[in-house]
Amino acid sequence: MTECLLCDVELLTKPSWKTLLALDDEMVLCRECLSEFKLSNQQIENPTLKKVTSLYEYNDAMRDYLHQYKFLQDIALAKVFKYELHNVLKSKTNIIPIPMHPNRKVKRTFSHVEELLKCARISYSDVLEKKDDETMGKKSKIERLALAPLFRLKPEVVIKNESYMLIDDIYTTGTTLRHAAALLIEAGAREVEAVTLIRARLND
Amino acid sequence: MVIDFAVQSFLTGRLWLREHIPFNSNIIDAHIATGNIKVIPGIKKEKSFLYKTIFQCNRCQNNTPSRFTVFDCAKCEGPCVYCRHCLKMGRVSYCTTLIAWNGPEPAFPKSHLLAWEGKLTPLQQIASHELFESTIRNRPHLIHAVCGAGKTEILFKPIYKMLLKGKRVCIAAPRVDVILELEPRLRVAFPTTKIAALYGGAIVENELSQLILATTHQLYRFQEAFDVIFVDEADAFPYTADETLRRAVKKAAKENAPIHSVTATPSKKLLYQMRREGSVSTINRRFHGYSLPVPRYESLWNYSAKIKKKKLPMKLIKWTEQRLIKEEPFLIFFHNIILMEEAEPLFKTLDRRIKSVHASNENRKEFVQKLRDKEIPGLLTTTILERGITIPNVQVAVVGAEHGIFTSGALVQIGGRVGRSSVYPSGDFVLFHHGISHAMDDAKREILRLNKGGASL
Repeated sequence: MTECLLCDVELLTKPSWKTLLALDDEMVLCRECLSEFKLSNQQIENPTLKKVTSLYEYNDAMRDYLHQYKFLQDIALAKVFKYELHNVLKSKTNIIPIPMHPNRKVKRTFSHVEELLKCARISYSDVLEKKDDETMGKKSKIERLALAPLFRLKPEVVIKNESYMLIDDIYTTGTTLRHAAALLIEAGAREVEAVTLIRARLND
Repeated sequence: MVIDFAVQSFLTGRLWLREHIPFNSNIIDAHIATGNIKVIPGIKKEKSFLYKTIFQCNRCQNNTPSRFTVFDCAKCEGPCVYCRHCLKMGRVSYCTTLIAWNGPEPAFPKSHLLAWEGKLTPLQQIASHELFESTIRNRPHLIHAVCGAGKTEILFKPIYKMLLKGKRVCIAAPRVDVILELEPRLRVAFPTTKIAALYGGAIVENELSQLILATTHQLYRFQEAFDVIFVDEADAFPYTADETLRRAVKKAAKENAPIHSVTATPSKKLLYQMRREGSVSTINRRFHGYSLPVPRYESLWNYSAKIKKKKLPMKLIKWTEQRLIKEEPFLIFFHNIILMEEAEPLFKTLDRRIKSVHASNENRKEFVQKLRDKEIPGLLTTTILERGITIPNVQVAVVGAEHGIFTSGALVQIGGRVGRSSVYPSGDFVLFHHGISHAMDDAKREILRLNKGGASL
């Protein structure tokens, strides 16, 4: 007996050989909760980032999801989008999650981007380091654009002349991703793409 | 040994997440060092059959394996586990700590004022007396009184007498609406007593309150706090369905403190249990002495298909129009939100001010007040308003009364909204149906039985 991770409604699954052999997709959400999320498919291009793909739009359901996942620290929710992320990333290589500052990671007890990837069974290399523990969410657009470099490479990391894929939870102004992409290109990457779970709409 | 009285006031009887405590960490550490604060791990681990690990959350008492998630924790650098059951109150994991007061108990005031000036009916008086007798004997008691019998007033005297002894009292209810309805009445009745109302979203006061009104969920955050607990509407969802809530009430009571139940529709199980372990007071007359309104059946064939086609059934239009002409406030109950929301625009063509409410509706409190003030002629609602609310002269219809969600208890409660005031002791209680269910007949039979004087079950 399993329950929906968001609304605790009991999930009715018919027993079958497929589920028994773990060939079928494991249900984690009920239909109602799942239908609240809106697919985005939005792709943006700019000089430093070759392509940014976002899977979902930011709506009320997504806001509640992020709140429960990141602020109430409900790690079980990392599973919710595992198939979607897996399908987008399964053929990609050189996957790099946007890191958290170590202090913040200890405070949250987990890194939300890495947990998403772990649940999606995508292997990644953790080569970036966050320089200070300020968050993007609290800054205005102008402040975000004028920031000093946010990341640095971990010691002894070699970036090859290949394509790299950055992963983050949410794309708002793109500052975070651009900082990381610029750093990778400077270190020798041929091109940098990005996938984010959510694409936010800016009000200002 | 120095005791910070603010800390003592805040923590007495409480079980709080250390990270969420509104005091400086140094102060808490000092109290832990002197033994005045007890530290409890968030999750209890136990080995059971075949060395399987069983978890129990020390705050909400949840021990269902599927309600725990094991994860790789960056804080304690190893495998850790957290409870998903009470997540919304702040996450409890194996590496978080809960703290509770372990020092000397603060003394509660022994002078109080009971400002309620109404008079109890003889039946209420007997029940009130029996309830107090049970309280001082530490025996659980059930007040089984029909809707509109004046259950809250029965509690006043026993609460007052306990407060005078310097005891700490709690009234708990599974639904926030009940707490919101009780709060102003109790503040008027006990004007000099420190009262706190606790529910999701309420502001946590740091003061030491002697009389606490709380949703049963909030009792997760209490431990050995109360000398007596009254559980109002003890048969309401989710109290009967969620065992952790019943454990929470038990945990919040001091050792041997009695846990009383108050309801109009006790389950057979509760009745049996109370007859065996405690005592029961029954009142089958409303305080104004008039009978309970008996439900009227009215067929409404294929109502859901009609509403889906954006047409209101004629009978429903007629009923609503009559209420509008007579200016009687009304409640129309629906079995599901989707159908209700489809019907709402159709009702709005009759009167634009008609509104709908459901569980996740934040304006619920405001709309009910507007209905009382006659700013809104009527409300469409789910079973969320089935109990705890009083609106003078309200008329009630149930659409789809044959539906499984309307158990006989629910129908008795819904009917109990009608004719509560002595000025308007009766009113229309109509069950629109697509076929008559057993629950409808059971409810009607129960109401007729109570009206006859409550002869044997």
